Amino acid sequence: MFKLLPKRIWATLAWCCGVWLAQASDVHGASDATLRVLAWPGYAEPEVVRAFAARMGVRVDVTVVDTDEALWRRLHAAANARSQEGFDVFAVNTAELQRYVASNMVQGIDVRRIPNTRQQLPRFRDRAAIPGLVRQSTQGEQVYGIPFTYSAMGLIYDKHQLHEPPSSITALWDPTLQGKVIVYNGGTHNFSLAAMAMGWTSPFRYAAAQWPAGAEKLIALRRNAVAAYTQPAESVRLFMRHRAALMFANYGMQQFHLLKAAGADVGYVIPEEGALAWLDCWAIPRNAPHPQLAHAWIDHLLGRDAGTLLVQRQGLSNTVSEARTDAPPQRLLWLAPVEDASRREMLWGRIRSGDRIGKVMAP
Amino acid sequence: MKRRFGIAWRMGLSLALIGVLAAGLTGYWGYGESRKLLRSAAEERLLTATRVLGRQLTVGLGSAAQDVRLIAAHPGTRHLLVSRDTAAVARGNETLALLFDSMLRTHPEYYQMRLISARQHGLELVRVDRSNGGVLRVLGDDLQEKGLYAYVVDTLRLPPGAVYVSRAEINHEVGAHAGLGKPSLQVATPIHGDDAEVLGVIVVNIDLNGLFAQLAADLPADLSLFLSNGEGDFLIHPDPRQAFAFDRGQHSRVQDSFAGVSELLSQARERQAQVVTTTTATSVHAAGPGRASEEDQLVAAFVRQPLAGLHSEDDFIIGLAQPLSAVLADSARLGRTNLRIVLAFSALAVLVAVVLARALSRPLEQIVDAIRHFGRDQAVARLPLHRRDEIGVLAHSIDEMQHQIRGQFAKLAQKQDELDRLASHDTLTGLPNRRLFFDRLHLALARAKRHQTHLALLYIDLDNFKDINDTLGHAAGDAVLCAVGQRLSQLVREADTVARLGGDEFIVLLDGAEDEHAIAQVTQRVREALAKPVLYQRTELQCDGSVGMSRYPDDATEVGDLIAAADHAMYAAKAAGRQRIRIASPTSADAAG
Repeated sequence: MFKLLPKRIWATLAWCCGVWLAQASDVHGASDATLRVLAWPGYAEPEVVRAFAARMGVRVDVTVVDTDEALWRRLHAAANARSQEGFDVFAVNTAELQRYVASNMVQGIDVRRIPNTRQQLPRFRDRAAIPGLVRQSTQGEQVYGIPFTYSAMGLIYDKHQLHEPPSSITALWDPTLQGKVIVYNGGTHNFSLAAMAMGWTSPFRYAAAQWPAGAEKLIALRRNAVAAYTQPAESVRLFMRHRAALMFANYGMQQFHLLKAAGADVGYVIPEEGALAWLDCWAIPRNAPHPQLAHAWIDHLLGRDAGTLLVQRQGLSNTVSEARTDAPPQRLLWLAPVEDASRREMLWGRIRSGDRIGKVMAP
Repeated sequence: MKRRFGIAWRMGLSLALIGVLAAGLTGYWGYGESRKLLRSAAEERLLTATRVLGRQLTVGLGSAAQDVRLIAAHPGTRHLLVSRDTAAVARGNETLALLFDSMLRTHPEYYQMRLISARQHGLELVRVDRSNGGVLRVLGDDLQEKGLYAYVVDTLRLPPGAVYVSRAEINHEVGAHAGLGKPSLQVATPIHGDDAEVLGVIVVNIDLNGLFAQLAADLPADLSLFLSNGEGDFLIHPDPRQAFAFDRGQHSRVQDSFAGVSELLSQARERQAQVVTTTTATSVHAAGPGRASEEDQLVAAFVRQPLAGLHSEDDFIIGLAQPLSAVLADSARLGRTNLRIVLAFSALAVLVAVVLARALSRPLEQIVDAIRHFGRDQAVARLPLHRRDEIGVLAHSIDEMQHQIRGQFAKLAQKQDELDRLASHDTLTGLPNRRLFFDRLHLALARAKRHQTHLALLYIDLDNFKDINDTLGHAAGDAVLCAVGQRLSQLVREADTVARLGGDEFIVLLDGAEDEHAIAQVTQRVREALAKPVLYQRTELQCDGSVGMSRYPDDATEVGDLIAAADHAMYAAKAAGRQRIRIASPTSADAAG
């Protein structure tokens, strides 16, 4: 027995030493680094995260956000915190990105360090043509976002309850559907939605006089709705639970895809007023502790595996292959920076909590 | 000395080893088993405490359910929802608000109590909030429409008397006063009209942490409380950053920290289930570096607690965890006691082994000593003959063998003596024979030469012996020979030797014969002795004899010459007419007449 053991012990010790050495000699001691990612539901799937963590020998800490406002709050908090607490990379739509660029909260991205951008469709490679991605500075052209995924915010309807697809956004306010409507719990988009429903030309720009009308419209929407969601999975649960007829799809095809997977017989429609559409990009905060890793992350997410998962599991489109088209491009309203996001969120918070118009518009 | 580590000591050592080993193994095994027992007992205790906690949760929520049910069932409450008498409704609202007020004051875990209408988009009719340590009635425009909240929507769908329990969530409702941003839980029940039409709901907001602070107040300090929802999201965690992580867009789930809980989560709802699991403290406090050592393990019991009789939107998984070290504190004490016992028994085993080894080695040494002594000089040493065991038998056998050997040796020596005697003495007369005489003569001559002393030989031949032999028989001859031999032996000194050379010839060696006179005396007495008759069968036999004498160094200096000289002198005496003594030397005169 005593004579048998040493061989095995030595083998084990040698193996342990080997593993330790292999880990110790990994990419510039990055093994104890943690890449902190701020992403939307479904963007950083566990297998994608695991693959990246294993490839780079780092830890990846993903925080999921479900509203633009939450994203803004988090990055703001991180910008003021110690650098180690900061995020390394985050996903944001083109409209919101402009807010961050204007506040000097993001840093320029070195596209040469993201080789997978060469696989992207030409219209996504032409970054200068996409509003908000590129800004001219003293050092020349600075790229602040790499397009990742996009979708339109259409309507999802239950084919059994609505035999005809709803043609207009106003279907959300249809009294016959009272208690059958599910709305998104986010102020910025909801105010844009209200503006579209009222036929206003620029849903992203509220004139001072328009606020009470917009709030009234959203109170009416709340009164017609049965539930509000923030995350795709939650929307599916609520849709099934309340046997809803109509849902505003903030996450677009992603939700449609999930509902189908859950067994719902639903349809997806872009109303005649058009649909808000978003293009989400990866961006790197100015105080990112690991900008190199952040570049590697973006490259990883543009890769084939992550892109395929995005399409197959989330029903979202990626930027390397042409999507099963969900809307004629002319009816898409690409998100643009809103006049006052925090005001929109504040007002929506009150509306969501049940305040009536007097209280909502109170100072 | 080598014998010290002989068989007895080896046996003693083996005994000691076996004793120590037996004590050690027994101790070790006993310790392991006891540890297992202690641990399972501690786990059982932990599980029981968790179950009790789960039961208390049911009771606590049950009591809240009782409260809302009571108010909902009161006719006054229903009246508020259907009456068109504004003044009466205002008074009723006032009364209900006072009731809510007093209930909030007696239930510190209540954040808020409300009467919510089913109409007007779920408008709150009566609402009392906890605020800044006090209780506040919310009025007028501050009352909100809650038609979008699950606790209104879902409760309105319930049958009369049923109670809804919401998911545990962070309260983000604007204007919620003390409850804003806090983990809370709504317990609600519908109010039905006479025609079964649903009129409104009574809702109580429960402070989740406050509720559990009450429930867990009596738990020992080393227990950590965990609570999760049906998906495993932590609702209560010793590390506040892990609780309600989902509300901040993060993930912190019980199954990631306590792997064993996943089976609990995968089971069907509405069934109580439980599991005991072990995990490392670091996996629980991952976000808090340095809070727990790596080896420090946690034992945790988790119970899925269905809320019987309540329409709960979600399940609760309650868990209690305790450091393994605390669970095994008793076993460490037991281990120390065990170790002491093992050491004591080992010492005893060694002592017994030493005593045994000595008891065995002592008689063996005694036996070995005895054999060794016996081998040396056939002395009989003391043997442990008193023993009745195998050693006693061995001692007896050796003793018997020694006696046998000693007897045989004695016999052998006796025979040897006899043989020696036979080889050197004449069998008839008992006198030294020719061989012995020559030996002695050689010795005496050597001595005389060295010391320059003298010696003399008397050669004697019986004169009438042949006649006696022929006439009276050999027996008579033998008698004569014996008698003559005896007489000759008696008349010489002890240092002198009388031998029979054969037939009727005798020889006498007179050692140290310097004294002529003394020699003359001896020869005279020899002659007289020869002349004396021998009595045989009452007959006197006269045999007489002739004596020849030679002397050293006068007549010869060598043995052969000396004997030959004496022989010649004897023949000369015989020729001169028998019965006389003749001296070999020509100078000496005829001594006898």
